[in-house]
Amino acid sequence: MNPSQPLELLAPLSGLLLALDQVPDPVFSSRMIGDGLCIDPTSQTLCAPLAGTISNIQDTGHAVSVTDDNGVQVLMHIGLDTVNLAGKGFTRLVEEGQRVTAGQPLIEFDADYVALNARSLLTLMLVVSGEPFSVLVDGFVESGQPLLQLSPRDAVEALDEEDGDALFSKPLTLHNPNGLHARPAAVLAQAAKGFNASIYLHKQTQSANAKSLVAIMALQTVRGDILQVSAAGQDAEMAINTLVALLAEGCGETVSREVEPVASVPSATLLKGVCASPGSAFGEVVQVVEPELTITEAGAGEAAERATLERGLLAATHALQALQDKAGGSAQAEIFRAHQELLEDPTLLEQAHRLLAQGKSAAFAWNRATATTAELFQGLGNALIAERAADLADVGQRVLKLILGVQDSVWDVPERAILIAEQLTPSQTASLDTRKVLGFVTVGGGATSHVAILARALGLPAICGVSAQVLGLANGKPVLLDADKGELHLEPNLAEIEQLDAARKQQALRHQRDVAQASQPATTRDGHHVDVTANVASLQEVEQSLTLGGEGVGLLRSEFLYLDRNRAPSPDEQAATYGAIARALGSERNLVVRTLDVGGDKPLAYVPMEAETNPFLGLRGIRLCLERPQLLREQLRAILASAGLARLHIMLPMVSLLSELHLARKMLEEEARALGLSEMPKLGIMIEVPSAALMADVFAPHVDFFSIGTNDLTQYTLAMDRDHPRLASQADSFHPAVLRLIATTVKAAHAHGKWVGVCGALASETLAVPMLIGLGVDELSVSIPLIPSIKATVRELDLADCQIIARQVLGLEEAGQVREALRQYHAATVETSSVVEH
Amino acid sequence: MFEKLQRAFWKALTPDLIAEPIEAPTQGLLSADVVSALGGADNLKSQQRVALTRVRVQLQDAARLDAAALKAAGVPAVMVLAGGVVHLITGL
Repeated sequence: MNPSQPLELLAPLSGLLLALDQVPDPVFSSRMIGDGLCIDPTSQTLCAPLAGTISNIQDTGHAVSVTDDNGVQVLMHIGLDTVNLAGKGFTRLVEEGQRVTAGQPLIEFDADYVALNARSLLTLMLVVSGEPFSVLVDGFVESGQPLLQLSPRDAVEALDEEDGDALFSKPLTLHNPNGLHARPAAVLAQAAKGFNASIYLHKQTQSANAKSLVAIMALQTVRGDILQVSAAGQDAEMAINTLVALLAEGCGETVSREVEPVASVPSATLLKGVCASPGSAFGEVVQVVEPELTITEAGAGEAAERATLERGLLAATHALQALQDKAGGSAQAEIFRAHQELLEDPTLLEQAHRLLAQGKSAAFAWNRATATTAELFQGLGNALIAERAADLADVGQRVLKLILGVQDSVWDVPERAILIAEQLTPSQTASLDTRKVLGFVTVGGGATSHVAILARALGLPAICGVSAQVLGLANGKPVLLDADKGELHLEPNLAEIEQLDAARKQQALRHQRDVAQASQPATTRDGHHVDVTANVASLQEVEQSLTLGGEGVGLLRSEFLYLDRNRAPSPDEQAATYGAIARALGSERNLVVRTLDVGGDKPLAYVPMEAETNPFLGLRGIRLCLERPQLLREQLRAILASAGLARLHIMLPMVSLLSELHLARKMLEEEARALGLSEMPKLGIMIEVPSAALMADVFAPHVDFFSIGTNDLTQYTLAMDRDHPRLASQADSFHPAVLRLIATTVKAAHAHGKWVGVCGALASETLAVPMLIGLGVDELSVSIPLIPSIKATVRELDLADCQIIARQVLGLEEAGQVREALRQYHAATVETSSVVEH
Repeated sequence: MFEKLQRAFWKALTPDLIAEPIEAPTQGLLSADVVSALGGADNLKSQQRVALTRVRVQLQDAARLDAAALKAAGVPAVMVLAGGVVHLITGL
């Protein structure tokens, strides 16, 4: 460096000058990268402020640095956050290493594009080599005009190239979305400068002085690069530790590491997800992809576009009606009906019309309106609503295709298909030949997603919440889907396939035998009888349960009887429904009617209620019924009309306070007296809130029975949403905390001579049966198809053994241990006994 | 069974659904002097705040822009682009 010659830097652009302190970006205003100034440009060609060599030009073209022969280095960064434009709007005119003269054009940019798509056009010119300078111009500057005068420094510190053995860090993966561009590179260099050791950053065979911002930028790192830090000198070890930690944290940028698949180590041959529908299948990968649609923004006149949108909406309504009729009353039909409603949503239409009024095309307006709203849904942080975003996107796509005249090609699925998708939409599955599909795997969705509902209805295995990696699998690749374990095996070996196949066959065989013996009572080997009843939601299901050996109804979900109504059913209608169900059961069987169990999470069209921020902790179950006593009284009257036709039981959901029980009982007694009933029906409560379980001894004298709702009890006990994609696997009813609450409840009930049922999903798990019986549960109310196998399981047990295993699991630490203990018990008793029988 | 829920949320969220500020040409972004320097209100197709420091306007006829009058009206710098697009640099 020649210290005697002052150097003038030319303005790289025309524009308004701004002091660095005013730049609304702390990385620049803090001078972490270097001192300099800022230009708000009015020209679109960035020129060299000095003669020298291009020491670095970013691939994205938004930043460049020039170094002269004396080591003076000037960095220019066009705009703020322009790295996100990924090169769009920038044209590089020079190459790295090229010599340039002062004033030579380096980068051209489209100022209007950058202004519209990036945060700002404010352009930085920084003297990164650190020479002090004086500013020669004030206010407005013309490109090429002398702007800064550098005062030469006495000596530029030589980088401490320390000899000696360098220490190396472990390789680490870079997570910054745009690599180490100016901001994170500056943070890293700044930190590196705090150490005396010489420090280098390595990317494959390249390396860069970690104290030099420009050198780091010149590495042109991108997300996913494997980097290593090396250092030599006294504080080398500390330097490495500090910088590695800084890189891992993103050097001041928020970094999102690849979302790891739920609860597991990522592995090349196994992908994990959450079971959405049980079962297993061996088949081949079929990726589901939607064609990209070309949407023109500008419309051909507002009136014409308005008419186009109307036509599209009308055609979509017709198409949805046809799909509904075809699906006839199934879960699918419900979904398409909901889609029809979305087409009429005033807010959505208003948004679209506003865009039409601005001269946009029908396709653009509709697409923007649905996409914006779907995004909003997704951002609400509620799993249920987020999944409705998928429905909205689906409807949006349907109308869009109709507007654009895109024909839906008939979807030809190969045999033995395992469908893989980001998210399967109802429209996609409606046109699907389900006979050829063996299973579903989706990245999005949870237990309440459309694909989960569909898969369960079809009896096909499905997993949700799988890593996005799955979308990269080649079509036709053979894979093994083990939904029970939530696993997709990418390289299944023959043994695994055969094992699952054998298990499936054995299950089918066992199921056949269980169904044949369904009418036999559920009595253990040592003569203890357990009532196995059904969870039902309609008269049809009651009849079905009786043919499968159901001994009564342990849970009638009354809110499901009129689910598709917009108005409350009349008292007579309600009475007729309960009467029909009671008659079907007869006077010797139990009918447990649960009063309306609705709330923010389970809304009912004719029970209007406010949206709640936390519906699971809000007005639901008995709380809502007590808020609207007329609704409850009317229902009680309707239920009481069938007194005598079956052994009538009335059950209150979500009871958490004793006062709720007292209030409801008072109402029931008043209504019964008004009807002139001589005998009161039995009144019980659901145990699904920890407070009720813990106070069961206080509740017991005031009830005739308890029924434990294990699903809610589990979610309230563990404070885990059972539909949460990441928590679902841990929100396990086998957790000892839940089991202890069941034990407490049973003990309290029996002390007062009352019976206890379990009507939650836990009762429908064969694995749980010995434990529940051992805990003293008197009745298992199960999902209808499982009645035969639950009864068969009971017949294979000994009460004395069950009591031992129940005591044992209460002392375990977590759900996994309980399951394991029960599995061992099962293997030792049930399976050997079934072998003996054959 | 989700209509109720959807409706409730939409109602609650309607205020947020009003189109992005980008599309909304609000009055008062430009002073009367600036508007007249740009050739009058009928020469203005759109006006929009962009990139922290700028107001982007689209003019019917860019030739009617009076640079000296703009400066006098307090706009320190102007960038005239293709297609009648003009950036008025108004600062932070």
